[in-house]
Amino acid sequence: MFNLDYSWLADPVYQGWLIRGTLTTIELAFASSAIAFVIGLFGALALTLRIAWLDAVIELFVEVFRNTPPLLQMLFFYFTLSTVGLRMTDPATGVSVPLLSAFACALISLSLFGGALCIEAFRSGLDSLPRAVTEAARSLGYSRWQRFRRIEAPIASRICLPALTNIMTNQFKTTSQASVITVPELMYYAGQIYNDTFRTAEVMILVLFIYVSLVSLLSWGMVRIERMLAFPGYGKGA
Amino acid sequence: MALIATYAGKKRTVQLGIALALAAWVCLDAMGSGGEGWARVWARLPILLTGNASGWPLSGGFALNVFLSLCAMAVAALLGTVLGFGMLAKNRLLRVPCFFVMNFLRNSPWLVLLFAMLYIIPFNVRLFGVSIAIPAFVKAVIGLALPTAANFAEIIRGAVQSVHSGQWEAARALGYMPMSIYGRIILPQALRRMIPGWMNLYALLMIATSLATVTGIQDVITTLNTLLAMENERVIVYFYITALFLFFAFCYPLALLARRMEQSVKGDSL
Repeated sequence: MFNLDYSWLADPVYQGWLIRGTLTTIELAFASSAIAFVIGLFGALALTLRIAWLDAVIELFVEVFRNTPPLLQMLFFYFTLSTVGLRMTDPATGVSVPLLSAFACALISLSLFGGALCIEAFRSGLDSLPRAVTEAARSLGYSRWQRFRRIEAPIASRICLPALTNIMTNQFKTTSQASVITVPELMYYAGQIYNDTFRTAEVMILVLFIYVSLVSLLSWGMVRIERMLAFPGYGKGA
Repeated sequence: MALIATYAGKKRTVQLGIALALAAWVCLDAMGSGGEGWARVWARLPILLTGNASGWPLSGGFALNVFLSLCAMAVAALLGTVLGFGMLAKNRLLRVPCFFVMNFLRNSPWLVLLFAMLYIIPFNVRLFGVSIAIPAFVKAVIGLALPTAANFAEIIRGAVQSVHSGQWEAARALGYMPMSIYGRIILPQALRRMIPGWMNLYALLMIATSLATVTGIQDVITTLNTLLAMENERVIVYFYITALFLFFAFCYPLALLARRMEQSVKGDSL
């Protein structure tokens, strides 16, 4: 049924592109996940302060980013940050060039998108903390900060871990959309390769397998970490 | 009634304030410097929404996204049900391949899967000697339906397994046949838990239809890009904001409804 021709894969140029693209994908996914975690942590902590206006603003941020396409967000950020705003004049040539590269715009956009998901995940993690635990810590005389550091954070982070795995794999998958704004990641190089070789089906099948293996590897690793960190007798470790 | 009593009340007031402030900002901007931009958006809005300058008949734009999401959801529901019950099967030979397919589809990016379908599905099929051309729209439906089906199946599996095992044992003790245990005991309870998940999934699918622009159908993003080619740089931001708002206005109510249903389902965990 299919006549798959993978002879182009022997070309070192294409191999180099695939490797470079994969590395950029991994870099983008991990960097944006890291920033998203920070955003999520601060967002969720801000929610625990129970300041009504802050809560409303954070909820708006979360809902806007969750309910609009990441592709459109990326295009929007790419356009507003790179094309219109923030330009500088290159001292050597005198040409006005965008200050932020496509990669930086994709990173900002993905971080905000992931951050919105992270706030939601951390918040539900903190919410699902058993009330008895907090009360026990209180009655033992822990201060607010100690209670967070010693009791709430360790338990909540373990509750959140499966959700974080989801978010990270999601980030990985969403990076493929950065090819639309010409970030040279795996999907972008895939386009370059099939424009050269016209082997569209073969290239896409290979790239699909690369993505699936990367994401599977990541989620396998995260499950290992989950098991390693689990408290004996609590949650999944029981 | 106190004007601002509870925390939730306070929050709602602030949210209302933000919404009003945003609306006021848009109005002020429209009267001032951004008037031209909003006027351009207003003039092009029928094309963005329906793909047609006069607004009728529907031929593309956001309406096509909605139609695409409905078609893909229907296909995904069919495939996902088969896959979901395959994963619940007692037979290993059936269960393991179903798990494998589900994991593969769930771990692949939507965009890459869409691209792969675009190129793997041939342009023409010869069926009984008749050559049938496969339009890009069908490929987009299939490409979006595959990952949705995997998520759909996972929701079915999760909901069925969340039904307490005592229900199974009680049904068996009462002499129900395996099929009628599913039909009369398990599914009625599980279905209540599936519906919010499916609604969230549909919202996710609707958001993902924006990717269908790569198949070249005249969806809202393709239309947007065509329109933007004719606009000057200052105006483009307004178009992007409008497109973002369209998706938000469609998906946010769905998400709200799903959350409300989730809350109401939460109680009956037996």
